[in-house]
This record gives sequence, structure tokens and C-alpha cells, in this order.
Amino acid sequence: MFVYLWGYLYRNFFRFWLKWILRQITRKCELQRICEGSKKGAQRTLKIEHSLDSSKSKVFKDAVRTGEDEVEKCIAVIIKEKKINIQKDTGFKAKLQVCLLQISGYKKLYLDVENLRKLPYESENEEHEELLIKLWNLLMPHENLKARITKQWCEIGFQGDDPKTDFRGMGMLGLVNLVYFSQHFTGEARQILSRSNHPKLGYSYAIVGINLTEMAYSLLKSGALKSHFYNLVPGLPQLEHFHQFYCYLAYEFDKFWFEEEPESIMHFNQYREKFHEKVKGLLLDNNVVLTLQNIKKPQAPL
Amino acid sequence: MLESRGLLSILRKLKSAPDQEVRILLLGLDNAGKTTLLKQLASEDISHITPTQGFNIKSVQSQGFKLNVWDIGGQRKIRPYWRNYFENTDVLIYVIDSADRKRFEETGQELAELLDEEKLSGVPVLIFANKQDLLTAAPASEIAEGLNLHTIRDRVWQIQSCSALTGEGVQVRERSALADRHLGLDGDMDTHGDSRSL
Repeated sequence: MFVYLWGYLYRNFFRFWLKWILRQITRKCELQRICEGSKKGAQRTLKIEHSLDSSKSKVFKDAVRTGEDEVEKCIAVIIKEKKINIQKDTGFKAKLQVCLLQISGYKKLYLDVENLRKLPYESENEEHEELLIKLWNLLMPHENLKARITKQWCEIGFQGDDPKTDFRGMGMLGLVNLVYFSQHFTGEARQILSRSNHPKLGYSYAIVGINLTEMAYSLLKSGALKSHFYNLVPGLPQLEHFHQFYCYLAYEFDKFWFEEEPESIMHFNQYREKFHEKVKGLLLDNNVVLTLQNIKKPQAPL
Repeated sequence: MLESRGLLSILRKLKSAPDQEVRILLLGLDNAGKTTLLKQLASEDISHITPTQGFNIKSVQSQGFKLNVWDIGGQRKIRPYWRNYFENTDVLIYVIDSADRKRFEETGQELAELLDEEKLSGVPVLIFANKQDLLTAAPASEIAEGLNLHTIRDRVWQIQSCSALTGEGVQVRERSALADRHLGLDGDMDTHGDSRSL
């Protein structure tokens, strides 16, 4: 009760006065203090985002919902409203701009990812079919597919003789992720595929991959990936950055799975959850960057 | 009108006393819709489903029953593990993709093998003729005939049309007669078992 009351009073009363007092002392508004006092990346952008989002003024609240093309205009409004002297605080405008681009970029990235996820795999679509065949060729360079519908698909970890039904709720996002990993980290992908055929600890490579796409997607959707993207991209994150995060998950999950030595594949969901919690824990660190690039340089696209 | 068919009717027959736990085993080929069905039963979002590696389990409270529903992955590779989950099963729900006619034979074989399992002997079986929202779906009556369900004599069984996607035919709660008609369940429904009427 006390905590609730304090939170209410803080949000509606104390926060305002605290900011006012600090403003009188430092002669700077909260946004300026954040830009000056915190390191660029997640530390700064998360604080800016929180500050704008908890503002009572609509102009400021809207700033975290603005699109990329409105960022300039939005910054001009903020500078005017807060009577910020940009001749005196020369770095402020550029810093705030990066923050707002990152904030709007993350939201845009979610929409792009969501659109790809909502796109179902269609056998009638030539591009989809080509991408599926490409996945096979990247992973199995020494074996030809004997037909489009064939049991061979099980060799790369699909459930049956036609992968199209395995993409389900992840749609084309699942396939694009699998192809991206195989294309940019070909050696790692083939190595993981061969490990996934382990007689005792083995798992189904492709459908585990689709489950990891779901993990990446839900982390993005919940906002947990903000820290990672704000540190990684000093502007607008692109779809490619999301695929790279998937690569990190695919590589790290395989490592995790073999370290944990589960009894059988039937325990997948339990270890999937454990791995999910581990990643969520890592993302709580404001200095976090989770990429495979740190481990090895990606190979040139084929 | 009270829902008097499907899962609930089997449950009512099975356990007369309320507040009882019921262990339900969901089986079927991959892509039959088991996980979607599980999530529908638990009133959860069904838009982000991925292929089940291993199994999922959920507990659902319904009409005085605590349903512990086990959804086991259906891919051929993990079907040998199904038997690890047979013990103490109260109801077997077997899910069929009614639109996947090419695999009717395969799904019939798997079902026949399950019905031969000693650990499942006498366990009531509810067959969901799923994906009735698809135009190409075979009606439940056709599936019942194709699978020779009428030859089952050793247990209570039912086949029910449903769409796990839309939720039609799968709820374990009261439903209006209108929804039944909408799905054409009146004609397709077939209830069999021992001499007691359902």
C-alpha cells in the first residue's frame, strides 16, 4: 500500500518538483542532464525514452511514438518547449537525435519483423520455394534434393516430407532466419546441423530453429531487446540486425543444449525456457551486445 | 442448450464426483493441430505457434474438473516416445487434420496402434476431425468410415468435427445450439461406446 501510494505521489507530484529543483540548480532540463550524464547507447536512450514517456505533456509523450521522418521536427519542438540554449549545450541536439532515431527505429523494426512473420509460407510463391531450396543447398552441399516433397527434409530437421507446414505461426520469418544463418555463418550452421544428429542428444535442427525465431520475436516484442539494439546500432536498426540476433541464439542454444546434456529431446521445452531466462538475464545489462560477430567474423555471402 | 457432446460428455461419464483431476493425452500426426487445440482449451493466444519439439502441458479448470492436458509432438521421429506418456491416462484425444487426405492412411495406422496398446486399453478416445474451417476438409462421417471407427468395441469413443483455429467444437463449456448448426455438427456427430447412452 505504502509503495503504491509513494509511486502515485512520485509520479504525480514529487517527480515534477524534483525535476524543477534540479532544473534551478543545474540550469538544465532532465533531457539535457541525461544526455550529458550517461554513456551513449542503451544507458542513455533507455533513460531518455523513460523520461519522455513519463512526461505529462503530450508533445513529449508523443516523441517516443514518432516516426523516423518526424524526428527532426520533434527535436525542434522539444528545444523550443524546454527553452534549451543549443549554442551553450552544443552536443545536445545530436545526442537526442540518435536517441529518438533508436526509439523510433526499434518500433519500426518490430513492425517489419511482424510483417514478415505474418507472411505465410506459400508453395505457389516462387520466391518462397527458391528460398527453401537455397536453405537445403547451403546446408547440404553434397546431396541433391530428389524431389520437392521428400523425406530428405527430415535430414535438416523438418518434421515431415514437406517443410511448408512447419513454419506455422512464424511464417516467412522462420525461413528467412534459417537461411540467413546458413548463408552468413555457413561453417557454424553446418557444424550445428551435424551436432544436431547426435544419437542421444540430437534435436531437429530446422524446427528448433523455428522455435528460436519465436524466442527472438517475443524478446523483440516485449521490448527486452532494446538494450541490445540501442548498444549495437547508433540509429535505425534494420531487419538484418534482427537476423543477426537470431544467429546468436542459434549458435548459443546449441552450445547450451550440449552443455546441459538433457535426457532426451522430449525435454526440449524445459531447456528452451531455461535458455530463454538466461538470455533475458543478459539483456538486463545496459552494456549488453549479443552478436555472433564477437566470436567469429561472418563469412562472405555465397 | 447444454453442451452434451465431445470432451465434456466423456468427462461427465468418466467422473461423477466434481473436483477431480483428469489426465488427457493429446496425440496425432505433426501439423494435426494439437498445440493449437491445447491453447484453445486454455484460452491462450494461438497466433505464434511453432512445431512442438518434445511436449507441452497445461492445466485447465473446467466445470469442476482439473484437466491436465499433455500435448506430445507428432513428428515421426519422436512418436516412439509417445508410450512414455500413456500411464494413468483418463482420456485420449486423437487429432486429425481433416484436410490432409494424403496422410489419412498414416494417421489411421497410428491410431490403430494406439488402440492396441495395453497401457491404453479401455481408455475412452475422442477423435477430433480438426481443420473444418478449411474448404477441403473431409467431414467427420467420412473420416469415421475411412478409419473403420465402428469396429471399436472395447471402449467409449466419439468423433467430433472441430476447428482448433476458430475454436468451434473444442470448448469444454456450455455452447449454444446455433454454433452446432453453424459447423454442421448435427449431421456429422457420431457417438458410440458401450450400451450406456451418452
